[in-house]
Amino acid sequence: MKKIEVLAPAGNLPSLRAAVDSGADAVYFGFRNATNARNFEGLNFSEKEALEGIRYAHKNGVKANVVLNTFPQVDQPEIWYKTVDTAAEIGANAIILANLALLKYCRDTHPDLPIHLSVQASASNYEAINFYKKHFNITRVILPRVLTVDEIRLLGEKTDVEMEVFAFGGLCVMAEGRCYLSSYVTGVSPNIEGVCSPARSVRFESQGGKLQTRLGEVLIAEYEPDEDAAYPTICKGRFEANNHVYHTMEEPSSLNVLEMLPEVIEAGVVSLKIEGRQRTKSYVSTVTSTFRKAVDAYYSSPKTFRPKGKWIKILNSTAEGSTHTLGTYQENWQ
Amino acid sequence: MMKLSIGPCLFDWGKKGIADFYRRMAFETEADILYIGEVVCSKRLHMDPDELFSLVEELKSTGKEVVLSSLGLVMSESEQVELRALAAKAAEMGVRLEANDMAAIGVGEGQPLVAGPHICTYNPDTLDFLQSVGVDRVVLPVELSANHITGIFRGKTGMESELFAYGRLPLTFSARCYTARAFNLPKANCQYKCGDYPDGMNMHTQEDKEFLVINGIETMSELIYNLIADIKRLEEMKIDILRLSPQSRGMVEVVKIWKSSLSGQMGREEALAKLLEINENVPFCNGYFHEHPGLEFIQ
Repeated sequence: MKKIEVLAPAGNLPSLRAAVDSGADAVYFGFRNATNARNFEGLNFSEKEALEGIRYAHKNGVKANVVLNTFPQVDQPEIWYKTVDTAAEIGANAIILANLALLKYCRDTHPDLPIHLSVQASASNYEAINFYKKHFNITRVILPRVLTVDEIRLLGEKTDVEMEVFAFGGLCVMAEGRCYLSSYVTGVSPNIEGVCSPARSVRFESQGGKLQTRLGEVLIAEYEPDEDAAYPTICKGRFEANNHVYHTMEEPSSLNVLEMLPEVIEAGVVSLKIEGRQRTKSYVSTVTSTFRKAVDAYYSSPKTFRPKGKWIKILNSTAEGSTHTLGTYQENWQ
Repeated sequence: MMKLSIGPCLFDWGKKGIADFYRRMAFETEADILYIGEVVCSKRLHMDPDELFSLVEELKSTGKEVVLSSLGLVMSESEQVELRALAAKAAEMGVRLEANDMAAIGVGEGQPLVAGPHICTYNPDTLDFLQSVGVDRVVLPVELSANHITGIFRGKTGMESELFAYGRLPLTFSARCYTARAFNLPKANCQYKCGDYPDGMNMHTQEDKEFLVINGIETMSELIYNLIADIKRLEEMKIDILRLSPQSRGMVEVVKIWKSSLSGQMGREEALAKLLEINENVPFCNGYFHEHPGLEFIQ
């Protein structure tokens, strides 16, 4: 039986090595510019580092996927197209694309380079997925975080495109690639510039003993002294609706599918993606090695598999808000 | 003169509310194009397909163009079944289908399509591809600026441009229903609470500032996006169609104000003052158009 893949994030070369050394089956990374959706300062790869990273991965039998999941700008689309060429030249195992123009270019110019459809393309149904397959021969889709495990299983019956899902990390609760909350407040589009809630728009302020977090001028949440403050993203903010103040969209918590690992595997998913190219090397090692152990334990005894308390504890220690959720994979979340 | 369209109603006004609204738009206003169909939540389609299609025929009889709009976030099998039926019906009736999920581009490939504001049209090459599969009109993503839009359409022929020009901005979709969440209800048993909020449920900051509105699985701006002060620029950009998004109050009057502004009979200040009054002083925004945060209003 082919095991489900553990796919780890790499924000830089040390993280890539850590992922490989911790038992990842595949890694993914982007270049140091606006062509990918984690365009944070001090993060990502130069062409030389990418080449070195791919060599290290391949030497250890690990695949390396290049992320190019933003939308080319009108003024300087060349860097996006050039990045497609670079990914092909350096021997990436797959390229992760969201934009129709890039998908077409990649298919026409590099017919042998496998294409994974980015979560930013927001393909949440087989009609969309099969459309991308027909026109661009995508081999895999990274599913948006909007489907339940049951829906994923049904989807798999209607397409032969491989399915990859987010397994752990920051939880985007919106249809990705089509969310304008961050640009509404900051003027910076995640789709174009590759960054949601940019650090330069964020403020933490003390106000009458309380801590306030702001994005631009907008108050995202106010915390009592005994509460942990989360990084201010709008979808995890605390607002007033229907006469009470609460996390109107989602609590600041991390996604963790470990408790549903058997269901996810049995739904036909081929790859478990760990989110967090912006996180540290130690996060990458911890999460990757824990998922490695869990996946191996499942295959050694699928019927009796239970996630160990120790794994959950370790994963929670890395998580945003130190709590986790099964998110949309279980129906009652919706 | 630029044409005016009435966008698909994004709120849950019920079968009668929707039908009455579009009849008024068809018979009492000078709007040129009517988009009708459920974009936000498939549970809301209170009108059965035959009722919807006979309403479309009735609206068409006024000589206005009618477009069938489709769902923004397609997930389930039943939603795909309905989408295929909608696309087939659009083709049969000779009306365009507005796609708001790539599923609709796939299902309707080859028939006349409008790529709605939820399709990611960010560059000219994307426009070329969409044209190759049947799209002959594009409603651009709401976050794009005037400069960006000009760049996308430079030199383009055979493709109409439409901009979201007035109303609460549709900013995002989720699998989760935030209206149900506000009542501690699961989406599966939402009790159709959206029906009680004809312009969405306000979501204010903890400082009680206007911010967003909850509209089922959609989150929108509470501020009213309004490009009426930018008509001159829109004309220079040669935009074909301006979209007015339905709201519960004063839409007949809103269309009149836009029509008078486009024909030069009404000045900018008067138009702004009248629209502000209709909206009971909810502020305007137009930041996106000016390459600013969307919530700002640039004069």
